[in-house]
Amino acid sequence: MIVSLADLPKGHEFAETRFKLTPEWVAEYAGAVEDEAIGSLPDRSYPPLALAACSFRALLKQASLPEGAIHVGQEINFSLSGDRESELVARARIASRGERQGWVLMGIDLNVASDSGKEMMSGRATITFPLSGETVA
Amino acid sequence: MSQRTEQVRTYRENDSLPVVTKTITQEKINRYADASGDHNPLHLDPAFAAKTQFGGTIAHGMLVVAYVSEMMTEAFGEAWVMGGRLKIRFRGAAHPGDTVTASGRVVRVEGARTTCEVECRNQTGDVLVSGDAEVTIR
Repeated sequence: MIVSLADLPKGHEFAETRFKLTPEWVAEYAGAVEDEAIGSLPDRSYPPLALAACSFRALLKQASLPEGAIHVGQEINFSLSGDRESELVARARIASRGERQGWVLMGIDLNVASDSGKEMMSGRATITFPLSGETVA
Repeated sequence: MSQRTEQVRTYRENDSLPVVTKTITQEKINRYADASGDHNPLHLDPAFAAKTQFGGTIAHGMLVVAYVSEMMTEAFGEAWVMGGRLKIRFRGAAHPGDTVTASGRVVRVEGARTTCEVECRNQTGDVLVSGDAEVTIR
């Protein structure tokens, strides 16, 4: 059973996740965001946010987003000059968690490195969600 | 696949970036949900979303930010794709039917590093996301 992010404390470290950016998935992502600029770049280029989306997708296999969760902030540093064919390793932890007026504000640090250890992405997603799991009208 | 052959233009402070405009649809939101694995009902379930403060489904924030990234790719080409930094705050929601325009302006050029203010607005001018993007041009 997948745990909800709502149940995880500050400092929780997610299990290391390994994944690949397959050409098929990158094409699905680029189609979903209608990225018309990436096609003009050399083959094997991909939208940098595809890496963020794919690593977040991997994270969601460990912990589900609470219903009604809202993304309020995002920081991303990326360096994609590494081997794009390699298996990627994602590590994530809950860097902050606070509660105010019935809402939880949570910061999740996410780092992605190549199999050889080269950092390809680091960043923090800040989300908020209702403390009780209720929706707010 | 065609490839960019022209030189990426040189940007100076106060130069505007090429705008990117997209229309949000529920079908696009559904596609992004499938690609990202984020099936939060706030994005997909009209009945659930109607009970929230948004009054209906909204696009994933990172779908809207992807338009900023496309703008940066259009402006800086491979330099953006190879490495950069993006710091964004989400200030409003994009609903199906909204037209979202990503725009930006160069605010600082320091050596190889170019910093831009970036934002997305809807068709009524409401700011949906704002922040800054930094790219190193080698």
